[in-house]
Amino acid sequence: MKELVDQIQARLRDQKITVDDEDIESRLRKLISEFRVPEGEARRSVLNYFLKEHGVMPQARASSEKVRVADIKEAGRWVDLEVRVLDLWEPASEAISQTGLVGDSTGSMKFVKWAKSELANLELGKSYLLKRVVTDEFQGRYSVKLNRTSQVEPLDVEVEARPVSKAAEPAKVVEINEAGRWVDLTVKVAQLWETNSESISQSGLVGDETGTIKFVKWVKSELPDLEEGKSYRLKNVVTDEFQGRYSVKLNRTSQIEPLDVDIEIGSVAAEFSGALVDVQKGSGLIKRCPVCKRSLAKGVCSEHGKVDGTYDLRIKAVLDDGRRVQDILINRETTERLVDLDLEKAKQMAMEALDHEVVRSLIESKLMGRYYSITGPRIDRYLLVESISEMQPISVAEVDALLSATEVA
Amino acid sequence: MAGFSREVAKRVFAGELKNSNYSFRDGEDQHQYAPSYLLTPTGAKCNRVFLVGTLTEKDDIGGDTEYWRGRVVDPTGSILIYAGQYQPEAAQILSGMEAPSFVAVVGKPNLYQTEDGNIIISIRAESIQQVDEATRNQWIMDAARRTLERLDGLRNARTETPTGEFATADSVLPLAASTPAQDADRAMQHYHTDVDHYRLMVLRALASLKEDLARNKAPAEASASEPLSTESEAKPVSSEGKAEAPITRKGRPKKSESLAGYSDDEDGDQVESINIAGGKR
Repeated sequence: MKELVDQIQARLRDQKITVDDEDIESRLRKLISEFRVPEGEARRSVLNYFLKEHGVMPQARASSEKVRVADIKEAGRWVDLEVRVLDLWEPASEAISQTGLVGDSTGSMKFVKWAKSELANLELGKSYLLKRVVTDEFQGRYSVKLNRTSQVEPLDVEVEARPVSKAAEPAKVVEINEAGRWVDLTVKVAQLWETNSESISQSGLVGDETGTIKFVKWVKSELPDLEEGKSYRLKNVVTDEFQGRYSVKLNRTSQIEPLDVDIEIGSVAAEFSGALVDVQKGSGLIKRCPVCKRSLAKGVCSEHGKVDGTYDLRIKAVLDDGRRVQDILINRETTERLVDLDLEKAKQMAMEALDHEVVRSLIESKLMGRYYSITGPRIDRYLLVESISEMQPISVAEVDALLSATEVA
Repeated sequence: MAGFSREVAKRVFAGELKNSNYSFRDGEDQHQYAPSYLLTPTGAKCNRVFLVGTLTEKDDIGGDTEYWRGRVVDPTGSILIYAGQYQPEAAQILSGMEAPSFVAVVGKPNLYQTEDGNIIISIRAESIQQVDEATRNQWIMDAARRTLERLDGLRNARTETPTGEFATADSVLPLAASTPAQDADRAMQHYHTDVDHYRLMVLRALASLKEDLARNKAPAEASASEPLSTESEAKPVSSEGKAEAPITRKGRPKKSESLAGYSDDEDGDQVESINIAGGKR
């Protein structure tokens, strides 16, 4: 917030206008907190408000400042850039006449030239002064837009630009923790899913020794199909995120190299501590399909139809630390130890009660509401429990520590 | 690919829950299935809460069908929990429970306004389970930490309510994914939260936990004749004051066999009224 206020103050100072920080801040806050206006828009709106109030027309955009690519850290700013065209892509929309990558010595960013701008086309490898282009942001990545007010001037000198690191960095699946990163992965295809969209040619799960991740291959990528169980090097794929879960997208710039080696899919253990707040349906005594091990619903496997299932014990539960929730899966071995109940006894219980829900109830009575620390690999939204233990009882020392920390504050 | 993600169960002391009177539905359209939230004075936006405490009383207040009510006490106060025909498992477990005992409850906060304008908060239990004292202690630490975190957040919150035009903000504000900072702002604007009051509440809870732990260390004294609940039960009374008086408790704690037709002097519509101090003004 302070940063936004300072930015506005700087612009107002240019116009010799003085406004109280509080006035700016309360307007910003109103827009951002109450009306959900994005920060860039809120700043623009507040700035324009004060400019207008002091009789300055927000046409002040005519004074775009000259910046370097790395200086662009906000959307909605009018800037001049000296850049080289590093890459040109096919526009996805008719409204766009050109799009691609421009860069200078400080970095590179996407540009979009609108058809309406009626500007001459940029040439790959050439350097230009782009005047009065406006910055934009999407998911933390910045771009510049060339519109009707923009100008393009070819430069004689070549702008020194870092070559596009087309060589996306090699990465392990577990390292993928942000969207919009270009990476090379060496993976095996764990699963292929049915696609539910015409624009997707394939999707599924790929994995390396550190974990698995969803992938999407666009139809437009025109890449060959991946086969389940085969290993590949996926080059120049881009990471994406949805609700905290990551995926990689294979697009036109990506490449697929089949590998002869077999990549082992593994996982790196994750940890979680919290209260067990739910023992879910499908916990306790279940039957699994003898062919694919999927759990059966009323004796029916979603893949193999009506089958003679084999009994198993497992727990599907939710741990919650007050900030996040974690779905967990506990296998038979650990379940038997944790609940002190073996498969035979569970079957007997269910038989006597004529209901195998009794097993789930028993599990719930033993685990619900208690605090556990678990470790194990994370597969999709589940953490597969390898070790689980009740959290240590609270000690006087712990309470004292929190008390004194609080009293000081 | 259901974009559904489970709501976190917030840790809020009973003393704070009791002072909560601000709830709203999320989403622009406010349709009937939009999740509803309770915003507490320290800015916890709760669709679900997790609490562990002592079940001090339980009654079937239902008519034809069982409707169970329990009172759960933590070091800061008490809260009523309910479980009826739509929470069959929780109801069944509550009915079979003995009071006093330590219980863990996961449930949805529920606000109810009486005809005379009092706002009553209760928890509709999704699940209830008996736990041990160690778990209860863990919860107190857990709730203390989370509450202190929220109090820290309130320090930076805006106190002033934006000018008049936002007076009816309650209905337009629901924010799909508000940040803790925004929740803190809203809590501050609605409750004018007295940060020190809640800090003191947490400190008292921790101090009482420390006493409990110290007493357990000397098992000779802490004999079974002194159930822990008495200690924690003693405190909340002050915060409830006279409002507690008019409640007609069930005559005898009947054992779990209360079937339909059990004649009852207080019917299902019996509610406890609590005056919310320091609500909106």
